[in-house]
Amino acid sequence: MPDLTAAEPAIDVRDLCVDRGGSPILKDLRLSVNAGEVYALLGGNGAGKSTTLAVLMGLLRPASGSVRVMGLDPATQADAVRRRIAYLPETVALYETLSAYENIAYFLGLSGARPSREEMDAALDAAGLQAGARTRRTGGFSKGMRQKVAIAMALLREVPVLLLDEPTTGLDPVATADFNRLVGGLRARGAAILMVTHDLLGAADCADRIGVLAGGGIVEEAPAREGLDVLALHRRFGEAAAG
Amino acid sequence: MTGLGPELRIFLRQRLAGPTLALLALLSAISVGAGILEIRRQTETIARIQPLQAAEEAAVAAWVSRDGDAGNAAYYTFHATWDRPSALAFAALGQRDVAPYVLRVRALALESQIHEGENYNAELALPGRFDWAFVLTFLAPLILIVLMHDLVSGEREAGRLQALQAAGARLGLWAHRAGLRLGLVFLAVAAPFAVGAGMSGAKAAEVLALLTAAGLYLAFWTLVCLGVGALGRSSVANGAVLAATWVVLTLVLPALAHIVINSANPVRQGVELTLAQREAVHAGWDKPKDATLTAFFRVHPEWRNTPPVTSGFHWKWYYAFQHLGDLSVADPVLAYRRGLESRDAWTARTGLVLPAVGVQTTLHRMAGTDLAAQLAYQDRIRAFHERLRRFYYPYIFNETPFREGDFAKAPRWAEGG
Repeated sequence: MPDLTAAEPAIDVRDLCVDRGGSPILKDLRLSVNAGEVYALLGGNGAGKSTTLAVLMGLLRPASGSVRVMGLDPATQADAVRRRIAYLPETVALYETLSAYENIAYFLGLSGARPSREEMDAALDAAGLQAGARTRRTGGFSKGMRQKVAIAMALLREVPVLLLDEPTTGLDPVATADFNRLVGGLRARGAAILMVTHDLLGAADCADRIGVLAGGGIVEEAPAREGLDVLALHRRFGEAAAG
Repeated sequence: MTGLGPELRIFLRQRLAGPTLALLALLSAISVGAGILEIRRQTETIARIQPLQAAEEAAVAAWVSRDGDAGNAAYYTFHATWDRPSALAFAALGQRDVAPYVLRVRALALESQIHEGENYNAELALPGRFDWAFVLTFLAPLILIVLMHDLVSGEREAGRLQALQAAGARLGLWAHRAGLRLGLVFLAVAAPFAVGAGMSGAKAAEVLALLTAAGLYLAFWTLVCLGVGALGRSSVANGAVLAATWVVLTLVLPALAHIVINSANPVRQGVELTLAQREAVHAGWDKPKDATLTAFFRVHPEWRNTPPVTSGFHWKWYYAFQHLGDLSVADPVLAYRRGLESRDAWTARTGLVLPAVGVQTTLHRMAGTDLAAQLAYQDRIRAFHERLRRFYYPYIFNETPFREGDFAKAPRWAEGG
């Protein structure tokens, strides 16, 4: 991983406004994620969480505001930004007719990387995918197994920024805990991780900070430290989402 | 950008990709096989007619030379002509399955001999042959549509599009994938053709030119698929739009163009020329001989001072009104030909805007099976017939006996005419 301890945040969003079909989705959103930090962005359906990720990946142009990922503007330097980002969608969709190894080789090949089998094994070991599953076609993989393959890809790419879109939706508690451990490992390697979710409990478990997105902006931000009143935050989150 | 191997692996592991390509290759192979069999049948017919021609000529010679009547020799001797298929004709049969490729002519009035063979069953001609040009023009685009309608939308619907973009997928990835599909479809269509061309002894340059035309046609359909895919609709919508586009571009518009061209360029049927000429010839029996011969000597003055026809039947008079029968339909024959050529020219122009028409026109031209080739064969027959008449006329008009040895001097059909 690159050194991410510089003062500048890995993700820096200031006064971001995004319109879709004439309707404002994000209004003056301010958000920053530092290297070695997990930021959980909570929000109800349609709050603009996935829109935020799309802007960070350069897939959507903002109406106004400033967005920087590792100091780069995704709107004008999308390719360079994407080389520094690993993105895990809610459902990690792999090529089901390819094995885990083949999927990793393919997706990394898109950015020109050619990992060896040993490097892939090391990443898959770190992600926790069983050795016996690695040569099997991923069509029969569970969501958790597919996430592990995606995490292994992120590890191999050594990207400084991870964007996680509803990663624990549909996972059982054991798999969720397993995933959160993986996220913790990535944080320990110095990655800046932005996780959008509506799983408050999961967020409280693995995030360093929690932001509540409602009405197009962050309405509350709290450090997820010991003693955080999750229930009170949950109530406020519900009110914000409804309001 | 990934290499060819991973893309090929992803593509071929799709459930329907391999079977679809195999089906196309099979249809292409069947069409090539059918074309080769048809051309072989035509070639064998041409080969078979030559010893039969020699045997029949010998029989006529044995009978005619007994009294040495040149008129009988010219009347009873059929002379075989044939239009040998090109090495690429198997791929695009064109006019060869509806127009005569063998015609036995006599020194009598010619135009009816040429055009009586055009009386074919239009219902049978309408569906056309299942040849390689058909597979390329109609089936290959369908297969391309099947393989390309979900090029991008399929990834979006599978939830991989954003991951691919985030992983570094650029426009080049889709171009790479489209190129791969185009290449495989081209290979499935072209490989059987190349084998057939090799078996037929086609020249490499001709094969290359024809494959280039095929490649450009498939590239056009690839661009159509990419254009429709770029609109960002679902795979089902893309498939429906592309299928409709296929129907319009390969069936509806060419059929409409055919109707418009035929209406704008009215052409009488060839058999009408046959009838008109036969009526002119038959009317010759009832005209005064002097009038017929005077008219004939105007176009052939070299026979004016030969012994006169006095009374009753004489071959001079008979062959004179035969030739005048040809001259009587010269204008309608020319108009018929101009009409056909005009239709052909408009069809070629239509091909500039309708690729399905364009590729068929191009393939038929390259294979020598188009209207121009058919008319060129007719021209060679006319030139040969002229030589036949000029060979028999000295015997008939000078009343020279025609002996067995004279048959050997008669003009022979050569490949060039």
